[in-house]
This record gives sequence, structure tokens and C-alpha cells, in this order.
Amino acid sequence: MNNRPSLRAMVPLFSSILAIVAAFLAGGVFLWLVGKDPLAAYTILLTRGLGSRLGVTETLVKMAPLLIVSAGLLITLKAGVWNIGLDGQFLIGASMVGVVAPLLAGTMPLALMLLICAVVGFTGGLLWGVIPALLKVFYGLNEIITTIMMNFVAVYVTSWLVKGPFKDPGVVAPQMATIPPEYRLPPLPFTDRVHAGVLVGIVAVLLVYGLFHSSTLGFELTVLGRSKKAALHAGMPVNRLTLAALLLSAGLAGLAGANDVLGVKGLFQGEWNPEYGLTGFALVFLARLNGLLVIPFAYFFAFLLFGGEMMARTAKIPAFYVPMLEGMMLIFFALSMYIERRYLHRAERVEKII
Amino acid sequence: MNVEALLTVLLGSGLVAAVPLLLAALGETFAERAGLLNLGLEGMMLIGAFTGFFVALRTGSILLGLLAGLMIGLVLGLFFGLLTITLGVDQVIVGLGLTLFAGGLTGFLFRDIFGSRFPTLATSSPRLPIPLLSAIPIIGSAIFNQRPMVYVAWLLVIVFAFILARTRFGLELRATGENPLAADAAGVNVFRIRYLAISIGGIMAGLAGAFLSVIDLNFFVPGMTVGQGFIAIAVAMLGKWRPYRVFLGAVLFGILRSLSNGLQVIGVDIRPEFVLMLPYLGIILALVVLAGRTSLPAALGVPYERGRK
Repeated sequence: MNNRPSLRAMVPLFSSILAIVAAFLAGGVFLWLVGKDPLAAYTILLTRGLGSRLGVTETLVKMAPLLIVSAGLLITLKAGVWNIGLDGQFLIGASMVGVVAPLLAGTMPLALMLLICAVVGFTGGLLWGVIPALLKVFYGLNEIITTIMMNFVAVYVTSWLVKGPFKDPGVVAPQMATIPPEYRLPPLPFTDRVHAGVLVGIVAVLLVYGLFHSSTLGFELTVLGRSKKAALHAGMPVNRLTLAALLLSAGLAGLAGANDVLGVKGLFQGEWNPEYGLTGFALVFLARLNGLLVIPFAYFFAFLLFGGEMMARTAKIPAFYVPMLEGMMLIFFALSMYIERRYLHRAERVEKII
Repeated sequence: MNVEALLTVLLGSGLVAAVPLLLAALGETFAERAGLLNLGLEGMMLIGAFTGFFVALRTGSILLGLLAGLMIGLVLGLFFGLLTITLGVDQVIVGLGLTLFAGGLTGFLFRDIFGSRFPTLATSSPRLPIPLLSAIPIIGSAIFNQRPMVYVAWLLVIVFAFILARTRFGLELRATGENPLAADAAGVNVFRIRYLAISIGGIMAGLAGAFLSVIDLNFFVPGMTVGQGFIAIAVAMLGKWRPYRVFLGAVLFGILRSLSNGLQVIGVDIRPEFVLMLPYLGIILALVVLAGRTSLPAALGVPYERGRK
């Protein structure tokens, strides 16, 4: 049979879709158990999210930070390191842009200002990743715990910044100065408020895809991810590779923060923490660490975020339902990997014998 | 300055704040000794906290609340075990998934049941002063006038230390975490040991969460564990999986957690954010100073499959 290899190549995507369907089914049973109408809820999710101009617009807006964060996650996961500190790096990048952008607004051309803000956001996130990265490389400290701890530190640091030194004195609520609307990310042609962030995200993901498919650095990172021992034996600069992976992903998380401040919120607000980190993990795993698949999956997860808001507003289903679904997707994804490994490999063995 | 007041507050509330960390870290000690890294600990604590609070609120019984937290922890532990031990799927993915799921589930149920209300428990656990010891000046009333569950947690340290060092199960546990293949060859049932370890880990996580909501705070809010599950994992690592050292670590971070109250009492004027971030910074610092390289059990995070090296 000629089409067999291509069918086999489809299996990973198929098992991801299966994991998503399973999560929706389990979630539906849960909704039914607590006395909600799952069909009505899912109808709202679908019609509002996919069937309306507002839904598509909002989904594209929410897609931007997910794409940017995922680009960084792709690098770390392929290199076999865990950066769970994305939320903290996001907050630091966002808050630094929240400080810098209102100061720059009006003093220079918009393009230059946006570029500087992007660099500031990226640098802020990167700096927040430096401590766990250095500790990992020089002390062998597990980055999982240190990056998680840095998330909480970032929450308190930014909370202090926004209530203390950089609080907008004209407002009671803890927030930084507002960026005038004409100095934010402009909407793309033919759209209401979809801004350039989504393009930045797509470019970032494609660059990472390119990195892993046609560069030495990408190859070395892949080897490191498969086996640290092999990378060491091949004389690869393991420490520098680990640093590069962690810092790039941290910088990209900060860039996502810049995107949200410049394109969505227009300011940095206290108590604001969208927590894209674990959503990003679910997204990138379901996309099977494939850069090209990350783009449609980012659309799907952004759709879920928007649909969750709609379900909360119209179907009285708390917005907490979305992280619940995402968590179940991760668990079902792990489960589908087991099924895949077990039955696919058994089929391979049988083939060999024949 | 009112040093006595500070000391009393730090010791008194610090020792209580240490209990959830201690319980969860003791359970995680067993799980990690057996080679399981449970990043779902944070989520298990959160579900334990919600379940315990809900049951205590509806029945009016603190004991039933704690029991419910413990039971749901056992269920979650077995679930984690089923996925990671029997099916051998990635522990980090399942752990993070479980934590994400738990945050959503408990938030969902809390909103759905209580709306925008934040009910508190009417009954609270009475204090039980230990005769003689509680009469020691200054520290006596701070240390030895606790709620019964606090003493239970301290006793569990001794029990866990004894099990680990002196029983056959403890020996098999340690062997499983270091080299499951050798343990298996020596006749240890690796799967049974790992299931027992994660069951204990789950029970302790659920109990830790229930303690937090039912005894320490008397209320539940979504996301109330604020990373304590992850801190507990770090405390287990810092204590190098020895119960007495885990106890010291938990007390240290319990005191750090209650530092903001203590400083308020003596009237030190400092932004609360700087004090609140101390435990998290402290964990990183302590890991750097104490942990050193290569201290993890050799087989941590690796699924065991018979017949494969």
C-alpha cells in the first residue's frame, strides 16, 4: 500500500485530536453532573467563537501572546529543558513595557517606539530567566522548581511596581500610566482590532520551525533534547545550548507581555496575570512540538479562551471551565501517547516478523 | 522593641503555617524516594482544601472535613499512580495537567456553589495546651499550645522517619528510587512499592490542603495554595528526603510565610510585597546553598518497565 507512510505520519495529529475530544466529552459529563446543559454550553462556545465576526476577531487577538509564548516553549521542550516560569517572565516584560511605553509615546515615530518596546519586553523576560538558567547550568539545580518560584516572586515584584514607584497618580486603582490609543499596536488592514502581534507570533513560530529544520543550533538543541550524554560526547557546548534555550524562551515570554500591553490592554494593571504558561504547555504538547501545527492549535486555544468568556457570560458556566479543560487535555494527551506507543509499536513489531 | 511579641507571633503562626508544607513534603518524600516526581502536588492540595472545606461546612465537623481531604487525596494519588506507574506516561506532563485541572475544577465548583460569597466555617478546632511544657515562659505558649492536628503532624515526622529507616517497606522504598531494576531483581515488587508511595503522597497532600482550609484559615478561596505544593516539593528536596530535615525545612518556611504578620505586630513599616516574596526567594537560595549537585534519587521521574534497562 502506497499511502501507508503518510497515514502513519498522521497518527500523532490524530491522537492529539482524540485527546481534545476526550477532554470535551469528560468535561461534558462533568457539566451534566453539576446540573448544567453541556450541549447548550458547547453550542455557545462554537457559535460565538467561530460563527461571529467578533468571535474570530477576539480569537485572533488572543492568539498573538499564545503564539509568541509557544515559540519559546518549542525551543525549550525540544532541547529537553523545562521553563515553567513563563508567567513570571511575561509579567516582568509586560510591566517594563508598561513603564517605558507611556514615556516614549509621542516623542518618536510609532514604528521606532514599538521596536524599542519590543526589545524592552524581550529583555525584561530574558533577565527574569537569567537566575534559573545560570543556576541550572552552574549548580545543576533543577529548573522546574526555580522557574516556578520565580513566577511568584514576579507577581509580588510587579504588584509593588504598580502600587508603588510606577503607579499612575491620577487614578485610585493600582495601574501604570495609560498609553494613548494612537501609540499602541495599530490594527491590521481590513480588520476591526486584530493587530500586528498575531503576525509577530506567526513569524516567531516559523523562525523557530526554521531553526530546528535548517540550522546547526537547531540540530544541536535537538540532540541535547534526545540525549544529554550524546550531546556531551559529540563535543557540543551543552551549557551554552541550555542557556540559549532557557533565555530565548524567557525573552519570548517577555515579548508576549509587551504584545498584551501594547496591543490589548494599553497599560499595565495590578492583579492582572493571564497565566499563559500552562496553556502554552497544553498547546505545544498537543501540537506535538511541531512548529507548523502550533499555529492552528494556537487558534484553537485562543478560541477556547474567548469561548470560555462567552460561556461564563451567557451560559453561567464559570470561566474556570477553560483551565479545567486544558488540564484534562494534557492528561488525555499523556494517555494517548501511551496508547500510541503501545499499539503502534506492536504493529511495527508484527510487520518486522512478517 | 516588642521582641517577645514578635517571637510569639513568628513561632505561633509560623508553626501552624508550617503544617501544610510539612504534611505535603512528608508525602512527597515517600513518592520521590520511590522515584516519582509529583508536580500534581499543588493541585492535589487544592482539591483537598476544597473538599475538606466543603464537607466541614456542610457537616459542621472538622474531623469529617479532614477525613474527606485525606480520602480525595488518596483517590488522586491512585489516579496519578495509574497513569505514571501502570501506563508509564510522562510524570511532568501528568503533574502539570493535574495542577491546571485542579485549579479550574475547584474554582469552578466554588463559584458555582457559593457565587460571589466567601463563607467561613463556624466551628474551629480547639487548642490543646500540653501540661507543663506550655508553661515555659515566652516560647511555651507559642509552641505547646496548638490545635491537636499540629501535634499529629509532628508525630507523623517520627513515624515517617521510623518507617523509612527501620522497616522493610522503607528499605524497599529507598531501593526502588535508586535502582528499580536491581530492586526488582532482589525480589522487590517495584509496582506495589510505587503505588504505596504515591498513595501516601496523595493522602498527605489532601490532608495538607484540608488543614489549610479547615483548620488554619477556616475558609476557601480559589487558588489559595499559592504555590505551597511546589514549595513542599522543594522542601522535600532540601531535606534530602529525610523526615527530620524535612521538618526543619518546613518550619523554616512556615516562619518565613508568617513573617509579614510578625512585622506588622511590631510595627515595622515595609511594603508587604517584599516580605511575601521571601519564601519563594528563600527556596531558591536554600536550594543553592544546601542541595548541591546530584542529590536526586537516581530513578526519579523515570517510569519502570519490566525487561527494559
